Amino acid sequence: MKLKRRDFLKLTGGAVAVTAFGGLGFDLTPVHAKAEAAKLAGTKQTTTVCCYCSVGCGLIVSTADGGKGRAVNVDGDPDHPINEGALCPKGASIYQLCENDRRLQKVLYRAPYSDKWEEKSWDFALERIAKLTKEARDATFEVKDAKGQVVNRLNGIASVGSAAMDNEECWIYQAMLRAMGLTYIEHQARI
Amino acid sequence: MNGKSFFIDLSKCTACRGCQVACKQWKNKPAEKTENTGSHQNPPDLSWMTLKLVRFTEKTIDGKFNWLFFPDQCRHCVDAPCKMVADSEVEGAILQDEATGAVIFTDKTKDISIDNVRPACPYDIPRVNPETKVMFKCDMCIDRVQAGLLPACVQTCPTGTMNFGDRDEMLALAEKRLAEVKKRYPQAILADPKDVRVIFLCLFPGDNYYKYVTAEAGAPRTMTRQAMLARLTRPFARILS
Repeated sequence: MKLKRRDFLKLTGGAVAVTAFGGLGFDLTPVHAKAEAAKLAGTKQTTTVCCYCSVGCGLIVSTADGGKGRAVNVDGDPDHPINEGALCPKGASIYQLCENDRRLQKVLYRAPYSDKWEEKSWDFALERIAKLTKEARDATFEVKDAKGQVVNRLNGIASVGSAAMDNEECWIYQAMLRAMGLTYIEHQARI
Repeated sequence: MNGKSFFIDLSKCTACRGCQVACKQWKNKPAEKTENTGSHQNPPDLSWMTLKLVRFTEKTIDGKFNWLFFPDQCRHCVDAPCKMVADSEVEGAILQDEATGAVIFTDKTKDISIDNVRPACPYDIPRVNPETKVMFKCDMCIDRVQAGLLPACVQTCPTGTMNFGDRDEMLALAEKRLAEVKKRYPQAILADPKDVRVIFLCLFPGDNYYKYVTAEAGAPRTMTRQAMLARLTRPFARILS
């Protein structure tokens, strides 16, 4: 059975209506079935792209309308030409990228030569990153190479990582790094 | 309509475990404390929190090394022995959905003993939550199927191993793939296609993968007294109802 996203959306809408009118046409385990189907009831579907590797699988994120407005489920997007609804185990677990009580909620900072982490504010972290970046860039920016050719490059900083960035975020990030003159740019998907 | 069935084509499985993760995610099951057993099979066994598990087996068959993958789950038996046992103890603890044939454990399973239900299962599937005593296993994602969606494990499968649809369609697909695969793997079999709704295509006889791939291949699962009684009283129960 091929299910297109439109069908998916239609069906989810249908499930909501049925729940609203009570009963799911399933009289064997009414309580059980209602509780489970309620997972997608009243949710809003949005498409996005998986950030975990360079394949770029399409996702449908269901977010709760009422309440907290958080993601309640993530499925593969059956309409997406890359994955046609399928997801690898990393992609299938991507829901936990945002809904996970083990996520760090605060900035942790370990000062040079210190052996412990301290909680800091985002303002502190961003300012410190900017300051150190500027210092390193000013100290190592190369306008001309040994042969006198104009290179305008920055070999003193490398970017390694970006595991949780999707395609669009990577584009902005890459543009910023290139503008600063970085040449050592590597993404998590290739590491 | 002959209900629904899965067709699991092991010739295509790469053991990515997408099905295992998708199952856990849709069911909102907690993570399990686990340990490294020297295998990628993790957690080591099914549990009330892990309803779908990819089993890994290293096996030399006819002088050739094989790494065999078996995405284990409830087979949704056409005539489910677990339900027979449950019916003899608490009516309605284990149900079978008429439209799909899905075998479903309800919260009432807390009133029956896992020691009676688990040995009745030819595939060693039922597991119990030790705290609440409620039993768990795959429920065919009955909520998704009723909403017209595929079960979470089938939807996510990137290789085409997991298939789901009308039983007749799945049986036809299974026979077609068996014929194709047999050219290269003459020992290939379908595991109990007539008795279950989760039909595995195995490249080698089932016990190479795991003890309980087919009902016969496993060690003789002696029927418990309850199962025997349930089977005996079944015709009466039917008449009475």
